[in-house]
Amino acid sequence: MAAAAAGSLRRAGWRLWRGRPVVRCQLYPPQRAFHASAVLRRVLDEHKKEPSASSSQQQFDSHPTDHQPEQEPQGPRPSYTGQGGQESEDYESEEQLQHRILTAALEFVPEHGWTAEAIAEGAKTLGLSVAAAGMFHSDGSELILHFVSQCNTKLAELLEQEQKLVQLGETEKKATDQFLRDALEARLRMLIPYIEKWPQALSILLLPHNIPSGFNLLTSMIDDIWHYAGDQSTDFNWYTRRAVLTGIYNTTELVMMQDSSPDFEETWRFLENRVADAMNMGNTAKQVQSTGEALVQGLMGAAVTIKNLTGLNQRR
Amino acid sequence: MAAGLCPCWALLGGRRGALRALVRPARGLAAAKETHFGFQTVSEEEKGEKVYQVFENVAKKYDLMNDSMSLGIHRLWKDILMHKMNPSPGTLLLDVAGGTGDIAFRFINYVRSIRERQLQRKLKHHQNLSWQEIADSYQEEAVKPLGDSQVVVCDINKEMLKVGRQKAQHLGYSEGLSWVVGNAEELPFDDNKFDVYTIAFGIRNVTHIDLALQEAYRVLKPGGRFLCLEFSQVNNPLLSRLYDLYSFQIIPVLGEIIAGDWKSYQYLVESIRRFPPQEEFKAMIEDAGFLKVDYQNLTSGIVAIHSGFKL
Repeated sequence: MAAAAAGSLRRAGWRLWRGRPVVRCQLYPPQRAFHASAVLRRVLDEHKKEPSASSSQQQFDSHPTDHQPEQEPQGPRPSYTGQGGQESEDYESEEQLQHRILTAALEFVPEHGWTAEAIAEGAKTLGLSVAAAGMFHSDGSELILHFVSQCNTKLAELLEQEQKLVQLGETEKKATDQFLRDALEARLRMLIPYIEKWPQALSILLLPHNIPSGFNLLTSMIDDIWHYAGDQSTDFNWYTRRAVLTGIYNTTELVMMQDSSPDFEETWRFLENRVADAMNMGNTAKQVQSTGEALVQGLMGAAVTIKNLTGLNQRR
Repeated sequence: MAAGLCPCWALLGGRRGALRALVRPARGLAAAKETHFGFQTVSEEEKGEKVYQVFENVAKKYDLMNDSMSLGIHRLWKDILMHKMNPSPGTLLLDVAGGTGDIAFRFINYVRSIRERQLQRKLKHHQNLSWQEIADSYQEEAVKPLGDSQVVVCDINKEMLKVGRQKAQHLGYSEGLSWVVGNAEELPFDDNKFDVYTIAFGIRNVTHIDLALQEAYRVLKPGGRFLCLEFSQVNNPLLSRLYDLYSFQIIPVLGEIIAGDWKSYQYLVESIRRFPPQEEFKAMIEDAGFLKVDYQNLTSGIVAIHSGFKL
């Protein structure tokens, strides 16, 4: 009995620990994007593994001091157990360790590509066995997604700093087209160290089972850019703006992979032109809209005049 | 207390886990504890001896019987295990209860093919190599066809190891392969030594499964992986009926005809039924300290691959 009780106690502590980042991310808005994605992934994981976890987690959040074994919630047990039987503040979660392995693996991507071998090399630098690479899919998708989300976090931090400088009045606020161009360029520049292997990564990201998570990361990145660009639209424009920027990002990415000019000059020129196009398109759309409205008013007026002329107008 | 509970196990098949939890703390206090040998209840020492006898008897016909009983499917299961392991170059593998070398030979083949692929990629990458460089790389390949990868086969049964050694000689495997007599419950190796621990169709014959799991945890390096291929519980009710019919009516007969040994194969099918189902075994692996434990059912759960990491 004692062993079983200790086991459930450990699990309870672990779940309590896992519940904490949710609270933390509400407290520190700057790290919102990163935590949000982490929490999202965790939620997805839990959905896969244990449908009843969220309810039990709440239960433990509301009774943080109740560590009685009989509090163990019903339902399938989670697949996590601590080793030492006690949970301390510096205890590293499985997920953090996985992130560390993937981060270490990035260093080996230029040599080995987005493969299990790169992950194995990364694990080796952390003093772990090469077999730890078996924790991840052998197609390397987790490594790529980790890289993408890391880049997104970096970009969000960059944009936030910029915004702070603007708020403090230290720099001028950029025009929207300039801002978008710089943000996209900064993001694309992060791919440069891995550009040789990036086509491989894109092809893996386009595999059916990777599309949802890849798409999520892309949209959150575009969202961040528009957020810092000061977009506050709540109408249909919200969608078109995001769609347009996503299109620009993806096509520029493709151009970049083909680009052999020094420091990717042609890519940046292409990017500049596309952003300018999009801005023009916005203006044109506005013009078309106002022309259309004038046209409709004119037609209505003509119809009333005709009705009056023919004596069909009943209001006399 | 424990001794009194044990005979009820057969009656209370479904509640075995609960009873085991009660029994476990009492281990070590009781002098001669009882356990199961197939559907019989025997003392723990007796089980060890009996299992030893079974495998001593079947060693020579072991591979033939595996093929005929599983219609050759066991080869696919072992291949899937190897793909799941996907060993990187330099992997040190401990294959416990792997007497006839099935896993070890597959490992060597797998590592060789990976090495070849890597070499080809390397040669393709550097287009302008001199002949000298190409010759050097092939020479390196000839000297070390496995890189630093090695496999240690550990089995408690000398007869099984003998068969494995003969097979290795016959098939021409020698590099990176060693044979050790040892008990899975007290492995004759240092701590933190191996990258991967495999046990294929072996852990169900171990008297104390929890001890074997603890030993696996001990000898693995941090980050190392535990892989277990074992018969498990069939989930599909229809298939389950067919499977029971096949294993109780046909396998012992096959055993009698091919190996001239009814009893050993009777034990085999019975021991499969006594082994904990997927979820219960998963919990046992977690209790030994492994993390990220999961399992994959093969052929509707006739066998399952459990995997865990020491982190």
